[in-house]
Formats: sequence, structure tokens, C-alpha cells
Amino acid sequence: MDDSETPTLPNAPRSLPGKIFDVLSGFGLATILLLLLGLLTWFATLEQIDNGLYPTLKKYFYWKSVFILPEYNGKMIPLPLLSGYWAGALLLLNLILGGVIRIRKGWKHAGNIISHLGIIFMLLGAGVAQHFSERGNMAVGEDEASNTAEDYFEYVVEIAEIKDGKSGPITVIRGKDIDDLSDGKTRQFRLPKYPFALEIGGYLKNAQPVGITERAPDRDQLKADGYYLMEKPDENNAEANTAGCYAKVIFSDGKKSDPFILAGASFHPFSLRLDDRIFTVDMRKRLWPMPFTVNLDKFTAEFHPGTMKPSKFVSEITRIEKGSEAKVIIQMNEPMRYEGLTFFQASYGPPGAAPGAKMYSVFEVVRNPADKWPEYSLYIVAFGMLVTFLTKLGSFLGAASRKKHRHV
Amino acid sequence: MFSSCEKKKEVVVTETRATTTRDQAPKLFATSDERFRDAKPSPVKGDTPEGWLSLPASQFRLLNYRFGESGMGEVWVSLANGTVLDNVNRWLGQFTATKLDSAGLEKLPPATIAGTTGKWVEAAGDYVGGMGAEPKPGFALAGVVTSINGQILTLKMVGPKAEVEAAKPVLETFAKSLRMAE
Repeated sequence: MDDSETPTLPNAPRSLPGKIFDVLSGFGLATILLLLLGLLTWFATLEQIDNGLYPTLKKYFYWKSVFILPEYNGKMIPLPLLSGYWAGALLLLNLILGGVIRIRKGWKHAGNIISHLGIIFMLLGAGVAQHFSERGNMAVGEDEASNTAEDYFEYVVEIAEIKDGKSGPITVIRGKDIDDLSDGKTRQFRLPKYPFALEIGGYLKNAQPVGITERAPDRDQLKADGYYLMEKPDENNAEANTAGCYAKVIFSDGKKSDPFILAGASFHPFSLRLDDRIFTVDMRKRLWPMPFTVNLDKFTAEFHPGTMKPSKFVSEITRIEKGSEAKVIIQMNEPMRYEGLTFFQASYGPPGAAPGAKMYSVFEVVRNPADKWPEYSLYIVAFGMLVTFLTKLGSFLGAASRKKHRHV
Repeated sequence: MFSSCEKKKEVVVTETRATTTRDQAPKLFATSDERFRDAKPSPVKGDTPEGWLSLPASQFRLLNYRFGESGMGEVWVSLANGTVLDNVNRWLGQFTATKLDSAGLEKLPPATIAGTTGKWVEAAGDYVGGMGAEPKPGFALAGVVTSINGQILTLKMVGPKAEVEAAKPVLETFAKSLRMAE
């Protein structure tokens, strides 16, 4: 090991910023953060059994969650922990300060610095994925085509004008603008392209419209045209939640319509006629138009002998874009990557399909700008370790050679 | 640590999306029944007995009625999953009655329903319906389960014991009047 290139006076008092820098860049903090991340992963793995994967991921690793209290078997564990996102952010800072800035420089340490840069790249990729990625699913039947993915969780309100029986471009009110509208809160939405506005309130994360003759309201719920929204407990599988809310049309003279229900569980939209123009208002999971169409030519599911455990799902598709076609096979562990989108073979249906039944394939669609960053970071880390190894080997061989010559 | 900012009372919406293969010609001016029950014509029809109150169909009840003076008597017709035995045992389970095996099922009396022969089922006691409902003491059940066209058709009557006893002959007649829609 070389002597430090910057000699310091022994026992020189360290300034406060210096001490902070030493802590933030030290091995101690790195060790604590790595142990913390391991602990968080362990707790989250146990908790998601009871509480579901998505809510657990949100609790442990979402950026808005700073401190968490783990739960096990429905009981809270009184051990406040820094959340995974912020532990990772602190680890990123630690690596930059300690692994790149503070670390000894020189060609003998180049390999270590390269490896640290690789890990920094991976942590940055995790941050990019959290803030900028989109995920959804696309279900396509055999001999059918789709150009749309559907978000797993986000419910939106959509407004469209109908001309000649068809929807025009659709205006979208995003989930983040309505999912806080519970407990009496309402919000008005101005729609520049339309001769009316909307007022929305009474949002419920998981609800079912129920007829008042079928089951009487028990909590003085708002009724609309003989129905009300019956709140349901959150589903363990968060994708199965169906949101609902109440809305009113605000006309140009400021008057408001009677309330009507918008529900993810509804079969048809709410319709409105104004001055010979027809509009629809609907609530559904956010649709994500794709830049190309996927036609499912053939779907094959194979199972382990004597079981219903799948061994292989294979989707043979045609990707159609601006008149050109490409044949692609998508199967487990072999996704299709195209134009920044990744299509993974996720599942199939209908459940328990008999042999010969018409099937559909379900793809998970992901747009993640940092999709390949973990892979690239591994290459960088591996290269850094190779450089470290070769450096050490070269030093060892050089020292051995000099020793041999001295004895000659 | 992060307190949420007060969100605006009014938002101007500018986000749009293009139509997709999912945006088929929408059903315009659908009624609430159509929007929330997708009320299509029932695949099963029947002659409503005198004195029974006909109610709107629901997700699980193709034909839906109330009967009896207490207002607690219910009759409904459904298409179910599983087998005849599964459904019979599910009903018996709601009264904590002993479940049957195939041999026990064969011994149940036959009943005519929708042009086929099904099994007549009865039970009595504390009724625990689905979805975490509170037990209802002093209730009874009468009904018919049959397999028709590859589906399980059920006709189920539940209510206070005395009212169910009195309504059994009417139920039997109603079962015979059921017919599958063409």
C-alpha cells in the first residue's frame, strides 16, 4: 500500500465540515447502509405475503416514504428504519464521496475507482427507473391485435366527444389529480376543448357501484340514479382494486348537474348531450398507446408433465408499424425490446383453458430509460475488478523479479 | 418528513391521448343499470309467482325476487361454477349441515327445472350467507340445482323457516316454469 500523497499533521483538529465529510464518505456508513438494505429487503419479503407486493414495495422503496415501521404477521415491529430509496440515495452519496473523491488516487487504485463508478451507475439507474419508468400490461387474443397497454394501478377520468359514433382525441385527468379527493374534498377540472367543466369528489380506491334496492347504503353514501359507491377493502393484489368517484358537470353558466358515478368497474361511460354535441365521461385504468401494433399469431403454453405448473409460454407475434411487419417470438426470459419498450411474457388466459381453447397472451410492457443500466454497471464493475487484479498481479510479479535480481 | 402540498382547487386539463384498439364505439346514453350491471337480457326466464316482488338482476342473480311478509325472504336464479355436488354442499355449508358425497347426492329428491331434472335441496338452522354476513337464526333453505347445457343452474330460496315452508309449493311450480332463453 502506498503512503498517502497528502501528508497531514498528526492529531490536527478536524473542522466540522471535515468531520461530516469523513462520516459521509466512510466505510462505517457504507457498511451500515448495506446492512440496512438487506434488512429492508428481508422485512419487505415477509410483509408482502400479507399485505401484497405493490403496497409493500411502495411502503419500503418509494421515494415519498422516508421512515418505515415493518410489520410481521399483522403486527407492527417498533423499529423505525430509513426507507430503501433514501438508504440507496445515501449510499450513492457515500460512494461518490468515499469511493471516488476521498479514495487514494493513482494507477494502483484505478480498478477500485472504476468498480465504484460501476456501482454508482447502478444506483443512478435505480433512481431513474423509479422516477421515469412506466409499466403496464397488454392482453392480446390469438389472431387479434392490440396497440395499447394498460397501467396496472392508475385510474383516470377520460372525456371524449363522439362524432359519427366514434370517439375523438381523449382528454385525460390523471390519477394523481383525483386520488386525494376523499373525505368531502372536491376539485374542479377546466376542460379547454369542451363547453363544460367537471367537479370530482368522493374518490374511493376500491369500490363497487351497488343498487340501493340490492343493498341499502349503510353510511349515508351519496346516491346517484339509484346507485351508490360501496367501498371495499383494498385487494391484496392491488391490480384488482377498482376505483370510483362522483362527478358533476359544470355548465357554462356555472350551474351544476346532479352527481353521477364514475367507476372503474362500470361497463359503459356516462353520456352527455350539449347543443347537439355528444360527450362521454368515463373512469378506467390509464391506457398507454403503443407506437406499433402487436398481432398475436400463435400462443403456446407447455406444462411440466402431470402438473399445471407452466414450463414455457411462447407468443409468436407480428409487430406492425407504418405498414412494415416483423415476426417476433416473445417467451419467458426472452423479452422483445424495441423503441425503448420491453415486452415481457407475463401470463396467459383464460385460467384453466382446456386444450384447443382460444387463448390470450398477457405481456408486461415496460418503458424504463435505465433498462440496461444494471447490465452495463456489471460490465463496468467486472472491468474494474479485472484492472485491480491485473494491477496487483503486475505489482507482485514486479516485486518478485526485483527480489530475484537483488539476490543474483 | 415530507408533508404534501395543498393541491389546487381547480386544475386545467390539457393531457390527451389518441384513440386505440380499446376504444371501440362506446354505448351511448347507457342507463345506470347498463353501466353498472351490463344488464343484458337474462339467459333464463320464468313466470313470476303472485305475491313475489321482482327486483333488478345483479352480477350474480339472473332473476331476483323477494317474498313473504317479513321482507327477508329471497329467491334468486343463478348460473354457477363447479358441479351440482359442489353447489349443494356450498348451500348445506351455509347452514352448517353435513355435506354430502356422490351417494348422498343421488338420494336427494329429483325436481323439474327448466326442462331438466335437478336435485331438490333443503336445510334449516342458522344461515350464514357469503361475504362475512352475520348468522341469521331460524332460517331455512329450499332450492334446486341442476346441470344444463354444460352450466350449473341454481334456484335458491332463503328466508325465515315458516315462510320458506309455506312457499315450497310455489317454488316448485316456479322451477318448472323456468326456461333457458333461445
